[in-house]
Amino acid sequence: MSDSPRNESVEELRTEEFEVNMGPQHPSTHGVCRFVLKMDGEQIVDLVPHVGYLHRALEKIAENRTYLQYIPFTDRIDYVSAMFCNYGLCLALEKLAKVEVPERAEYIRVIMMELNRIASHLIWLGTFALDIGAITPFLYAFREREKILDLIEMVCGQRMTFNYIRVGGVSKDLPPEFIPKAKEFTEYFEPKVDEYEYILTNNPIFLARTKGIGVLPQKLAIDYSVTGPNLRATGLKWDLRKEEPYSVYDRFEFEIPAGENSDTWDRYMIRIREMREANRIVKQALDKLPEGDFRKKVPVLFKPPAGEVYTRVESTRGELGYYIISEGTTIPYRMKLRTASFSNLAVLPEIARGCLIADLVAIFASFDVIMPDVDR
Amino acid sequence: MEAEKIKKVLLGKFPEKVKEAEVVDFSPAFEVDKDIILDICRFLKESEDLRFNLLSCMVGVDRGDGFEVIYCLFSFDKKHKLTLKAPLFQENPEIESVTPVWKAANWHEREIAELFGIKFLNHPDPRGILLPEDWDEGYPMRKDWEGKDFVRLPKK
Repeated sequence: MSDSPRNESVEELRTEEFEVNMGPQHPSTHGVCRFVLKMDGEQIVDLVPHVGYLHRALEKIAENRTYLQYIPFTDRIDYVSAMFCNYGLCLALEKLAKVEVPERAEYIRVIMMELNRIASHLIWLGTFALDIGAITPFLYAFREREKILDLIEMVCGQRMTFNYIRVGGVSKDLPPEFIPKAKEFTEYFEPKVDEYEYILTNNPIFLARTKGIGVLPQKLAIDYSVTGPNLRATGLKWDLRKEEPYSVYDRFEFEIPAGENSDTWDRYMIRIREMREANRIVKQALDKLPEGDFRKKVPVLFKPPAGEVYTRVESTRGELGYYIISEGTTIPYRMKLRTASFSNLAVLPEIARGCLIADLVAIFASFDVIMPDVDR
Repeated sequence: MEAEKIKKVLLGKFPEKVKEAEVVDFSPAFEVDKDIILDICRFLKESEDLRFNLLSCMVGVDRGDGFEVIYCLFSFDKKHKLTLKAPLFQENPEIESVTPVWKAANWHEREIAELFGIKFLNHPDPRGILLPEDWDEGYPMRKDWEGKDFVRLPKK
């Protein structure tokens, strides 16, 4: 090397890794979540998620309430798809206490849950596209979600925290004007999905941001207990509604979509296809809706027998499980909430390593993590 | 594999360390000696006939006279389920971490350690997870926990 002063200064130049703090209040973390990123230029070397900002001790609260008093609390676990949280608890209690549920109630539950699934996927679609930079799908998605919320409000009077499903049935019967309105919606919704796809699916900018980004290998996904659409995107056709049918899901025809490449685009496509399938289920359930009771009466002081139960349902985000330990009293001894987002978020550091920081936003959004669902 | 067969395999492989237990909808269930938890979990995951590749849930329980860690396992390949329960002592509850078997256990164990004060030996990342970083009010999910604003439901 020559001795010129210029070369010396080049040798003194060096690069080093630096830390960036993302969140807890950040538009792309969908709630209150903080990432500490170790960066090498634009590239992520390591990512450490910090959660718990929304920890409300829901499991501790459960030990201090009766079973039926706890149903409104389940709405707050995952407020975007509260119907599943209601249902998970009721299903676990019905299995423990062997409560027979009238057929009409099961159909009503399926209709409400699948409408909720569409609404939840619509929120996801809107915010996911927004994070990537497409504003229009957000407006479209919320336009349709509004119609679903109107339908749900018609039935249970609430738009977010439904508190609708009860042990043994549902809290109110469907009003007579609901069925024509809901049928109208299912017809209206199908072409709307084409509209979202028209904007996004083959859009070159969207493809550049999602194709081949954030690949989650199937083995890793299973090792981290990733479930729901994120697992199906890896190519595993696994859906509890099909594999271990609960409620009356075995009476409907629907497909389980599965991905091929397990990238961000696949996770998008799975949810688009799931919305279509959910719409199909709602249509069939409305056509087959039987007459009869909407609720089997259970005592106000509901006492399941002593024992333990663990049940899982396929919520919008994956497996939602309730582990309940009952001592035969009105109050649970212990209630564990197994939420899908908790496990889905845990895998993020593994796939974020080596990605660009801009891709992290797309990957995280495609995972559809809801922070209250993680923290409980 | 059916519940009866799984029971036979486990009782044959780990005699005197495994006892039957009962969990509705996630059976068969077994109570296992905490000292063999890592061995039994490895066996359950790697055995050709069992292949429990999904750790669906981990539950910590304060039984009053001791603690318990519950593992809910599932197999995507064989489509069977299993629940394991490992009772721990009241004083210094500790158990081997199963993170080397299922990575999903990492966060679940962090949560249980933080809320119940159960120590997971050889855990790769023994930090807290849900509580504030400066939390110093003990282990809130224990049954005898007393908090500032916490009012217990009166026993009837």
